Amino acid sequence: MTLLGDRVLEIIEPGLLLTIQDGGRPGLAREGVTRGGAADRFSLEVANALVANAPDAAALEATLLGPTVRALRPVTLGLAGTMAARVLETGLPVEPGATVTLHEGETLELQAATAARAYIALPGGIDVALVLGSRSTSLATGFGGLDGRALRAGDALSIGGDPVVPRAQWPGAASPAPVTRELPLRVLPGPNAAERGPELHALAATTWTVSPTSDRMGIRLDGLPLDGPPLPEVASHGVVAGTVQLPPDRRPIVLLADHQPTGGYPVIGVVISADLPRLGQLAPGATVAFATTAPRDARAALASDVEAREAAHAHLRDATRWDELWREAGA
Amino acid sequence: MSGEAGFGIVPFGDAAVLIELGRPAGIAAARLAQSVASAIDGLRLGGVGLGEPVPAATTVLVTFDPLVLTADDVEVLITPVTADAATSPGRDALPAGRLHEVPVRYGGDHGPDLDGVARETGLAPNTVIELHSTATYEVLFLGFAPGFAYLGDLPAALVLPRLSTPRPGVPAGSVAIAGAMTAVYPHASAGGWRLLGRTDVSLFDARSTPPSRLRPGDHVRFVPI
Repeated sequence: MTLLGDRVLEIIEPGLLLTIQDGGRPGLAREGVTRGGAADRFSLEVANALVANAPDAAALEATLLGPTVRALRPVTLGLAGTMAARVLETGLPVEPGATVTLHEGETLELQAATAARAYIALPGGIDVALVLGSRSTSLATGFGGLDGRALRAGDALSIGGDPVVPRAQWPGAASPAPVTRELPLRVLPGPNAAERGPELHALAATTWTVSPTSDRMGIRLDGLPLDGPPLPEVASHGVVAGTVQLPPDRRPIVLLADHQPTGGYPVIGVVISADLPRLGQLAPGATVAFATTAPRDARAALASDVEAREAAHAHLRDATRWDELWREAGA
Repeated sequence: MSGEAGFGIVPFGDAAVLIELGRPAGIAAARLAQSVASAIDGLRLGGVGLGEPVPAATTVLVTFDPLVLTADDVEVLITPVTADAATSPGRDALPAGRLHEVPVRYGGDHGPDLDGVARETGLAPNTVIELHSTATYEVLFLGFAPGFAYLGDLPAALVLPRLSTPRPGVPAGSVAIAGAMTAVYPHASAGGWRLLGRTDVSLFDARSTPPSRLRPGDHVRFVPI
């Protein structure tokens, strides 16, 4: 058992963008504070499950280019999302969906993402102060996480639990299904369904590319702008992650975790809840396709995802229990 | 649409609905939105799967858990309280808010759009300052960014659309106008409002409860310094 406040992991190299994220801050839109949190909450949940954490515990979110981290004492990490890794000293490969226990001084190097983001969970979660009920880093305003900023080389993290936990393997994909033409993002109409029908139809008929200007606030899409005159701005109203806005240049923006809580651009559709984790894995240059769906299908997709996740959690718990029994039996 | 109350409830994806209040933007509509949001907070105490209501100028977004409720269920739940708020005279009156005086350095580097606003409105820059700083504004709602309060109503002579191209960097404390509203940018950000001046007053502290200094129903006056 470590003493609370003991540092267990040092950042050697943060990659492109490394932040502390958890499930975010729901319920504060009326303060102008958006939910934020992990861009891909499915992968956050998998990483946390591997080290027996609650699904929304605070973990590292790595972006595009892999970070390198070093154990300051023996510590188990849970890896999920779309970066593979290896232990530099031993060459041991670590795939997303697995744990790795580093000895003191050992270094884990994550490779470039095959999509956009990876999550590294630590037992008990990363121990930084709760700000407005969450440990998530709000980069735009500069609060939460570690001093409200992205992590940099030399930062050292403490955790909320015993640093070494049993080895575990997530039984299934450790990141959401990639967006392809065959498996497009599913969208429902927005609030002005009748007026915005042509734009929603055109959105689904066009293949888009993720713009390099995309960030945690929104996925900006490059492609032929949707035909027609610029749509008038509307009175700002509340929006949710997955909202597809059409600004005056008629290139759609799909809102991500750090979106503004209210927006004044016309809304042409909303990505279904089941597909939100997939949005968080869209990297610049990726191809994006949309398909319209029905509320009943959206609900069925979400229910089926939740069922699969619950089954995987149960399997993981059983496997970990058997592992412990074998060890206790001296096998 | 719900008859004489004049509002409509439309689906917003699979986990939210938008209540369109059917009132023109302004203080009365914003108060009604706050009142509807409070009533929905009351329903949430029953633990029915309703999430956070987000009141704005003429709407209230209501989120919900799509595994517990459908958009139709939500409409059935929130229609009575929305109708009640929309048809009860006096129900839109908020408790009297506090009055905040916000010192502002107008023009120059602090307010790079002051001269442009003067030109487009045909007013002298000093008249723009006088009009902006003699009105008392009500906090209509918060949104856009932490602590960003939409204030109304702006004197009619100052009503202009947003800039056609938003600025990539608006300094923290910028006092700005757009449409019939005015606001202070609590933090540096991108933004398309016209900048008249700047204040040193801090409007958001993540470690305070509540974190935003301006509350809906509060009043604000800008004081030139």
